[in-house]
Amino acid sequence: MILKNLLLRLPKGGAEQQAIAAGEIDAIIDHSSSNVILLPAARRALRQVAKNEASNKAAIANSLLAGLPHADYRRLLPDLELLTLRFGEVLHEPGVPIRYVYFPMGCLISLLATAEGDQALEVGLVGYEGMVGISLVLGVDVSSVRTMVQATGPAMRMDAARFHQAFRQSPPLRCELYRYAYAKLALARRTVVCNHFHAIEARLARWLLMTSDRLLSKEFLLTQAFLAEIFGARRATVNEAASALQQRKLITYKHGKIRILDRKGLEAASCPCYTKIERSGKREGRRETSPQKEKTA
Amino acid sequence: MSPRQRKPQHKPKARRAGVTTVVVLRLYIAGGAPNSLQAIANLEAICREYLKDGHKLEVVDVLEHPQRAMAEGVLVTPSLAKLTPLPSATVVGNLSDKARVLLALGLKRKVQ
Repeated sequence: MILKNLLLRLPKGGAEQQAIAAGEIDAIIDHSSSNVILLPAARRALRQVAKNEASNKAAIANSLLAGLPHADYRRLLPDLELLTLRFGEVLHEPGVPIRYVYFPMGCLISLLATAEGDQALEVGLVGYEGMVGISLVLGVDVSSVRTMVQATGPAMRMDAARFHQAFRQSPPLRCELYRYAYAKLALARRTVVCNHFHAIEARLARWLLMTSDRLLSKEFLLTQAFLAEIFGARRATVNEAASALQQRKLITYKHGKIRILDRKGLEAASCPCYTKIERSGKREGRRETSPQKEKTA
Repeated sequence: MSPRQRKPQHKPKARRAGVTTVVVLRLYIAGGAPNSLQAIANLEAICREYLKDGHKLEVVDVLEHPQRAMAEGVLVTPSLAKLTPLPSATVVGNLSDKARVLLALGLKRKVQ
């Protein structure tokens, strides 16, 4: 409506109206309201530019994407869609075909192995360092775990078919994801051992450290019910473990908000699995970047 | 007194006859919108070809400086204003019509 009025206000048959008819104009200056009114095509184009800039910035926020050579990343970019994942959202269910793969940026995703009914146990944690939907990398297009968003935040998603195509075409992406799949498998194995042999307090400390690393934050929201679910324990047990850590002044836990007060102390309180997982993660990370970059260059 | 007053009026004519006439241009654009980007590219090509160093170009982004567009009476973007040498002229659109731009800049005769 505003645009129509503005068009009428321009000199009849003048150069401005002719240029608009030829599609050569981006904006009209509305002198009555001191506003610059963008024409629809220009508005769409500028929105796209802003979106691309956002995705460019976003890539840096996911280590897997950031580790790719620039040319390979540029090829992926048109198929990557920026979105916000919200707490509690289920991305994949076991046995159900995967429609999208996700590259978390500021969010955190739990991989839950399900038993009968609603029972589930956490077997993996994915943050800015990884990807959700790794079974596609191994040639299986259904998920083996339930993936659930544990902390709200931005992520990039990609259609499974497009992902297959990109995976075939980009050797660096392939190498990086194979290594990542191995790291995830190692983490799942370590988690099984940890769940069996280590006390809940030490496991909770490890889990809080891993969560903090992946969210790059010392403070995050967490409900006891959720913690109990991922540890496969009763709420009372989890509460006891959290209280013990709180008494030792390692964390504070109030109204579902956890804050790590003493990181070093928490590391000492956690089981040795934390250092093992993180060390092997870093080793994989270092290998990921060097040799393949040269191949594509 | 009157001959002194007249003198400055003749000066520009004398300069115009010289080789180094500086053309001062101002291009109003709307950020990275397609026609704006094209106008910049087209104008830069024209300046490179016909004006070389003999020009000054200021690009005003009306999305960043809307007050400039208001104050200077701009109606649409992209829009090119030739400020000097007089007479001033305006061309609107993405400047892909080279002949029209050259005519407005007073360069058409040189081309022919």
